[in-house]
Amino acid sequence: MTAVTARPTGTGRPGATGPTASGAPQRPSKPLHLGTKVIWVVVTIVVVAAFWSIDISWDALLTLPQKLVHYLGLMFLPPAWSKLPDALGATMLSVAMAWFGTLLGIVISFPLSLLATRGLMPAVVRWPLRGVFAVLRAVPEVVIAVLMLSVTGLTAFTGALAIAIGSIGTLGKWGYESFESVDRGPIEAATAAGASRLQIMRWGVWTSAKPDVYAFWLYRFEISVRASAILGLIGAGGIGKMLVDNIQFRVWDVVGMLMIVVVVVTMIIDQLSGMVRHRIIEGRWELPVVTALRRRSAKRARSESVDLKITADD
Amino acid sequence: MTGAVGGARPTKPRTWWKTVVVLAVIAGITVWSSIAIGVDVSAIAENAHNAANTLIQLMQPDYSFFPQTLPALLQTVQMAIIATAVSVAIALPVSFWASRATNPNSVALGIVRFIMNVVRSVPDLLYASLFVTVVGTGALSGIFALVLFNLGILVKLVSEALDGLDRGGQEAALASGASWFKANRQAMLPEVAPVYISQAIYVLELNIRASTVIGLVGAGGLGMLIDQVRTFYQYHYLSLIILEILVIVVLLELLSSFARRRLIK
Repeated sequence: MTAVTARPTGTGRPGATGPTASGAPQRPSKPLHLGTKVIWVVVTIVVVAAFWSIDISWDALLTLPQKLVHYLGLMFLPPAWSKLPDALGATMLSVAMAWFGTLLGIVISFPLSLLATRGLMPAVVRWPLRGVFAVLRAVPEVVIAVLMLSVTGLTAFTGALAIAIGSIGTLGKWGYESFESVDRGPIEAATAAGASRLQIMRWGVWTSAKPDVYAFWLYRFEISVRASAILGLIGAGGIGKMLVDNIQFRVWDVVGMLMIVVVVVTMIIDQLSGMVRHRIIEGRWELPVVTALRRRSAKRARSESVDLKITADD
Repeated sequence: MTGAVGGARPTKPRTWWKTVVVLAVIAGITVWSSIAIGVDVSAIAENAHNAANTLIQLMQPDYSFFPQTLPALLQTVQMAIIATAVSVAIALPVSFWASRATNPNSVALGIVRFIMNVVRSVPDLLYASLFVTVVGTGALSGIFALVLFNLGILVKLVSEALDGLDRGGQEAALASGASWFKANRQAMLPEVAPVYISQAIYVLELNIRASTVIGLVGAGGLGMLIDQVRTFYQYHYLSLIILEILVIVVLLELLSSFARRRLIK
């Protein structure tokens, strides 16, 4: 990247020194962009310094491909499908953790995000709340879970609580941002018709913010599913716990099977949640294959009906 | 009702049963999930004293611990920077490969997209624990985990940006006889560069957050320190570490919001 940005000045300068002998119109000299160049130099230095200073034995890299192939072979040739029922049970626990945590987070964050909305509450209430959201967003779920261990012990419930607390931060922020970005028209209309603050909220703000907020809730659920797998890795139960146990005891064929399960389940949940989100925002279902077929048949039907209309007009 | 011409309201569409069904489904899943994870409110009540103690300890970070956290802190930052640099370098060609706008070969496109989907759906901590067992504990396995984690995100974001670009310049280049590589290099790369750089900064920010965590399974950095102090219940140390993470994240957020504003302008 640095080489690309540095080159043009070198070629630009000779042209700028004097009038060209040939009659061709002279090219304007390229701007210098001194600031950009300084930034690139600083970035390069920082990266090089990081590489140079970090305490790593880089010769481990040489044996890595061989090791990787070895372990991948152990994992996936073949994966231990006999443990699949256990894995599915553990996955359900993880999903339950994510669902319950997200729901709890929604229940708590919804009123809080209303309190943090500009135009509804004075700044004294708003800013501390926003600060709390920011702090919760900055602390990773795993750290929250580590903190909660002392309170409830190492159970799936702890994991769900950690997810709930973590999701308050993001949901709170998304909530007040979508409440603030609604169209002012309905609010004005409600105010003009003499609505109370609560009624303005219900009919002026909520109706327009609703689809966005629902979509955020679903999106947060997707994130929570990933987080719940991670929480299992520190012992909160579910698929993550099963994974880390099998990694520790080096049962690689089970690890391979579990990885496939994690990937497939995450993809399925993303697809499902994406479909529901599409339904909420666009108002109709978008099923990957069905929609394409339906669109095609709808096009055909439309062209047929146009034909019919033409013949009817005749 | 029959005689009214202008005054009759349109009847509301009857959708209440849909609402009931949706609510019932949500309630059902919630009940099932609460049984599955064993919701135990009494445990919280019983351990309230414990919780209060923890909170009190958390509120009093022990600043004398700071010198001991410095190496881990430095390692976290180093890991984040190296992982960002490596993944940014790899992600550029791959995202050109994974975008419909820049890759005319639909078979290669499908393969790359599928692989990236798989890469993206594995959580970062899982990569870390795998590499720790394969490579051994330390920063190297952490860097590998972060690079894979970043690649998933970067390639998705950049290739989606490429999909959304105006393809006029590329078309012109192709019409004048350029190869796809040259057309993408000259017409698409400059267009996508601001998005690419701003996503790189975003990934650096993510990496700082993530590299504090992946240490929990032994991949180096602040996470490893967190793991040490939490096994001894040294919450006044733990809160100092959390405070450090907060400071770095906030600083980076300020830097990245400033840089992005400059890039968009």
